[in-house]
Amino acid sequence: MTLARTAAVPTLDPGIAWDALVIGGGATGAGLLRDLARRGMRTLLVDRSDLGTGTSGRYHGLLHSGGRYVARDRDAARECIVENRIVRRIASFAVEDTGGYFVATPDDPDDYVDAFPALCAASDVDCEEVDVTEVLRRNPTLNPRIRRAFAVPDAAVEPWALIEGNVADAAELGSLALPYHRVVGFDRSGERLLAARVADVRSGTEYRVMAGQVVSAAGAWGGQVAALAGAKLTMAPGKGTMLVFNQRMTDAVINRCHMASDGDIMVPVGTVAILGTTDIHVADPDHWQITRAEVDELLDEGEKLFPQLRRMRLLRAYGGVRPLYDPSETGTESREVTRAHVVLDHAPRDGISNFTSIVGGKLTTYRLMAQDTADAVARKAGVTERATTAQEPVPDPHGDGKGRYHWLGGRLAAHEADGGGDAALLCECELVTRSQLEEVLDRRWPCSLDDVRRLTRLGMGPCQGGFCTFRAAGAVADHAARATSDPIAIGDMTEQAMADFLRERQRGTQPIAHGRQLQEAVMTAGFHWGTLGLGSLVGTSPGSDAQR
Amino acid sequence: MPSADVAVIGAGLAGLLTAVRLAENGARVVVLSEGNGALHWAGGPIDLGFRPGARTAAAVVGQLARRRAHPYAVLGADVAPALDWFQRLTGDLGLPHAGSLSGGFGALPTGIGGIRPVSIVPEAQAATLQPWAPGERLVIAGHAGYKDFWPRAVASSLARPEVWGGFSRPDRVVGVALDWPGLRERRNLNALRIAEHFDDPDWRAAALDVTARGVASTGSGPVRVGLPAVLGLRDHPRVLEDAIQRFGAPVIELPLVPPGIPGIRLHDVLRAKLRALGGRILIGERVARVEVTEATVTAVATEAATREVLTRVGALVLATGGVAGGGLVGDPDGAIREMVLGLPTDGPPIERWLHGDPLNPASLPIAGAGIRTDEALRPVDPRRPARGPLFGNVRVVGSLLAGQQWMIDRSGDGVALASAWRAAASLAGTTASATRSSRTTEAVR
Amino acid sequence: MTIASVVDEALHETVGLSTDECLKCNICNEVCPVARVDDRFPGPKYVGPQAQRFRLAAPVPINLDGRPVHSPDRTVDWCSGCGWCTTACPAGVKIAEVNNRARASMRAGHRPRLRDWLISQTDLLGRFGAPFTPLANWTLQNRAVRWLIELVLGIHRKAPLPLYAGRSFRSRFKRRGGVLGRAGEVDLPPPDRAVVYFHGCAANYYEQHVADAAIGVLERNGFQVIAPPQNCCGLPMISNGLYPAARSKARHNLDVLAEYARLGYRIVGTSTSCTHTLKAEYAEMLDLHDEDARAVSEATWDICEFLLDLHEEGRLDSGFGRIDLDLPYHAPCQLRSHGIGLPAMDLFALIPGLRAVDMDHDCCGIAGTYGLKKEKYDIAMRVGEDLFRRVEASGAAETACDSETCRWQIASATDRPSRHPVEYLAAAYAAADAAGTAAGTAH
Repeated sequence: MTLARTAAVPTLDPGIAWDALVIGGGATGAGLLRDLARRGMRTLLVDRSDLGTGTSGRYHGLLHSGGRYVARDRDAARECIVENRIVRRIASFAVEDTGGYFVATPDDPDDYVDAFPALCAASDVDCEEVDVTEVLRRNPTLNPRIRRAFAVPDAAVEPWALIEGNVADAAELGSLALPYHRVVGFDRSGERLLAARVADVRSGTEYRVMAGQVVSAAGAWGGQVAALAGAKLTMAPGKGTMLVFNQRMTDAVINRCHMASDGDIMVPVGTVAILGTTDIHVADPDHWQITRAEVDELLDEGEKLFPQLRRMRLLRAYGGVRPLYDPSETGTESREVTRAHVVLDHAPRDGISNFTSIVGGKLTTYRLMAQDTADAVARKAGVTERATTAQEPVPDPHGDGKGRYHWLGGRLAAHEADGGGDAALLCECELVTRSQLEEVLDRRWPCSLDDVRRLTRLGMGPCQGGFCTFRAAGAVADHAARATSDPIAIGDMTEQAMADFLRERQRGTQPIAHGRQLQEAVMTAGFHWGTLGLGSLVGTSPGSDAQR
Repeated sequence: MPSADVAVIGAGLAGLLTAVRLAENGARVVVLSEGNGALHWAGGPIDLGFRPGARTAAAVVGQLARRRAHPYAVLGADVAPALDWFQRLTGDLGLPHAGSLSGGFGALPTGIGGIRPVSIVPEAQAATLQPWAPGERLVIAGHAGYKDFWPRAVASSLARPEVWGGFSRPDRVVGVALDWPGLRERRNLNALRIAEHFDDPDWRAAALDVTARGVASTGSGPVRVGLPAVLGLRDHPRVLEDAIQRFGAPVIELPLVPPGIPGIRLHDVLRAKLRALGGRILIGERVARVEVTEATVTAVATEAATREVLTRVGALVLATGGVAGGGLVGDPDGAIREMVLGLPTDGPPIERWLHGDPLNPASLPIAGAGIRTDEALRPVDPRRPARGPLFGNVRVVGSLLAGQQWMIDRSGDGVALASAWRAAASLAGTTASATRSSRTTEAVR
Repeated sequence: MTIASVVDEALHETVGLSTDECLKCNICNEVCPVARVDDRFPGPKYVGPQAQRFRLAAPVPINLDGRPVHSPDRTVDWCSGCGWCTTACPAGVKIAEVNNRARASMRAGHRPRLRDWLISQTDLLGRFGAPFTPLANWTLQNRAVRWLIELVLGIHRKAPLPLYAGRSFRSRFKRRGGVLGRAGEVDLPPPDRAVVYFHGCAANYYEQHVADAAIGVLERNGFQVIAPPQNCCGLPMISNGLYPAARSKARHNLDVLAEYARLGYRIVGTSTSCTHTLKAEYAEMLDLHDEDARAVSEATWDICEFLLDLHEEGRLDSGFGRIDLDLPYHAPCQLRSHGIGLPAMDLFALIPGLRAVDMDHDCCGIAGTYGLKKEKYDIAMRVGEDLFRRVEASGAAETACDSETCRWQIASATDRPSRHPVEYLAAAYAAADAAGTAAGTAH
């Protein structure tokens, strides 16, 4: 299967009447785009920012086996394991088959541990007790006092490749995803939404998008989108903070074998390991902070699994907001609300016949969430085609489509097979080559370096953009020079790209820096401000407070 | 056990200058450093201090000296003699530095298309101290495909007047991306490799030729040529001279992302000078332990492959750098630890280590953390400075001294020079003590 | 007063986790001798802490187009293992060690190349070659044979292979009544009057004169020399990624040497490579952290290190006669890894007339067995080129160096002999005796 490639960046053709409009370009939205497209509905997806910048781009990276839910929520556990198997099959390129363990630390109560295998069995979650010594041998930094270990089919999943693949699949069928297009309002007539008013965030141009059905997959922002349509939907966003460690101190997902709580999972995701997470209600999904206190709490919990954790190199902290739905519509504490996904039909709720929202859920079950939603939407539209998304593979945006799992060493091996060397590497930490970067710029320009990061992993290694930002900015300048010969414009564009990226990268370092990462931050800042005169390029212009 | 009159810990600018000065005065000096020092990142200029609107470095030094917390409060008067010595020393070593305390600032363009204010610069950047004449253009030239220097991007950025602040600037800035011989085929390319190429006369001639033609293609009239800082490592003076000759125009080396070739040149000549004076530099020697008797350091133990090597010393100079240099470490519990002697440190609380908009150098208060000292640069307890120095024979130099916001003040190199000067003076006549401290075979592993 | 270490000992013991310390400063790339001369090697930062993030801790074979692949690496093979990167790293990353492990991982699951296996079998090569010294040496020096060896095995025809020297050192030592047994089997003088000698393969089969010089110097200073049963230290195997074989060698050595170490005897070696292996590589590369390994590590000394230590305690016979000589000295990379400075230069300073000059060059290029290999010989020669030129320009008739493979490389490239520093001490003592000079300070 080949990827459809548009020669130029797609723009909105206001003449098209879409069968469906999907709002929100996270995993669910992308999955929905694919599902609806496969059912023959010509669908447009819009997101106010780049694809995968909501919760999907800020989650833990875990493809759940369901083991985490076997005690509290058997239905969720069962859903997880079923979808786990499906995602492994249809999108193996985005999945690293890390496997996972539930380990019993001294802090984990016997009754839970003893019951665990049976609980897993009851939910059809594969679970096998393994020799603790073997687990410790493979993971020498794990708590040596763990007394039992169970293997489960947890895995790590990379969200942006998954989203890209879903979108590419839909594009083959004439559907389209448009980042940086924000819904600013609807034209409503009686019971129907006739059109959505969509603004191109970068140019300011507004369009009217005619769509037969409107679906909100806006996650934590679902309430805001619903409000634009005149519907009532109260979300109870729950912030989760995660810590990114420089090294994979484990090659398998490690879970505490206890009733699920904060800071009890370590997931190897690509070249890093991510510890999570917390659960704190926030009023506004766009405005919140990560505090050192939260970081300390996570480290305290994480030390129960990895006693040396505070000595390991912590790269950054980031947070994501869970799209939790509050059925009571009071916006209460997120701990009380359900994590299950819910498809909301706004016809009976709000008297809008062609508006549907999908809320709740987790990335592992994105395909099922999309399917359930697509079922509802298709029914409303009178479309009888059934879903095929569980059977058909998602195209691999970067690879050879051979259906292999993602291999940690893949990028290095590919580069080495090309002869290796650093001349072509713009981001050395993550092995991003100049041509890879230019290819993304070709496809997505105008875009930010953060957008490039999502598709390449630029700046996600130990230097956190300290070295590569400038190289990437150079590539941006070259790219911009194709469209304009005005040096001022090029200079401004390049500076903007540089400044935005540096700011975003360093935001994640501030709450956590100690030890080597603190040294790294100060050293790189030293040569930025000192040697390279960054101060002459970026003023003290206030950045946005939003923790985006 | 081996002995040295003075052991200098740290091989950055402050450490090496202190060692050279001490050796010049006849001391037996050993420099111990965990690895190569921060000079390997440096871009050339010697920053004595800068504030927007300041006319001379001397004025800034004076201003900073009036700030009680800044090391210049103690060292302000040493800057002039230290600079004088530094310029004579580097001149003798074939790496002369232009500029003066009272000579005013210029704007040095950098490899990311910005500028930095400079007052003391090596010869390869001296052209920046001359104001630009009307009609004079700046041509930024470099090898296309060298990932750390994008000539057209640099030129586009520098074409914007606001980048230059109020400094004298060229009327026109143009970028040319060239094909330097053989570099396109290379699988590995960094500043050091290119600099080594420039050391080769044949390659150099060809590269300069290509560059000259590229410069000429941008027009006629007075020009200065901006190149990435890769103009030779061992043979830099010859390379620079050849370039100026070939272009018939002044040349400016633009500092790049590390490795910093200008800094490595300086490191190499200082190291050679120290060795010529009989001093030693031991790289890869991490200090494990220090022996102390009654507030006097008597010996320094460095980690070896097994056991330690204990060196008897008459005095110890700490030039380990602040947080950036690794001389201070910030622990997750908020403690800021000094790594050799465990000296009490002066620094912000953890919530303010990195704080505020990252695109503001004031967002790194931790960079100002360091050790407080008395007038003789002996360490004191910042909470009890009146109690006097914690060690009689220890001096603190360089960025380990508290109270510098060197990213904002741009005074880091000036502090290095001045503190090296003063520390060396205050340690004149020190010798390793006659009493031997106990030999130890304590294993390090 | 003690200082607290930032990183827990446990983390530093784990070579892999030391890559957490990497600041991406590029200093290691700046000092790498191989990256300096060859564009195929991306440098220690790339193949070390950078590539390490792409390696699984326990490599699982991935099926890549039908081939099982353990390792994503290729270019790490160009690393010579000289260790300069680790030495120059300001953050304590064990780069060379990470590279070596990565190379071993590349080889895992494959049969070792015959050449690599063969050149690491120094015990075998010595034992079977020495009795046939004339024939063996003729073979190794015959151009046609060397062409053939290059063709078949991949050992460069000009590689500086050492020449056999007849009866092994051990055999001769035994003949002249030397003590060769294990600690429990022999009558031993107290530990301050005897040392254990780790001779290594070089002194045993190719350079018995170095062993003789060392023993002469030690005995003159009041130490009886014991040469207990020992085999190759295992370094050639470690360098070629043959860890299980190396562990076997290590275990045999540790078994014997630990007994002496625990009794307080110091283990002195005349090869900076062997002694570094005993001091550090058994632990760092082979993960041997038991009591025996630790005891032997703590008891091991390079001979110049040992003699200089004696001198600093005032116990070295410093009655050296005059040797009028300009002597270029090369410090082997392995010596730098010891972290003990340059003790040979300090000892040379005690010999009247001896004008030793530190060549201050990074690496002679041989890096153990690296420069013997057909595909790496040219790299090795380019790495050492400046050193060779400097030696030739000095006009000196001979050079000094503490490592045997470096000596063979330098001698071959400069066409003049290269000697172990201890040979000059022995010669200086002999000169003193010849001149009838009274001995130096008392013990």
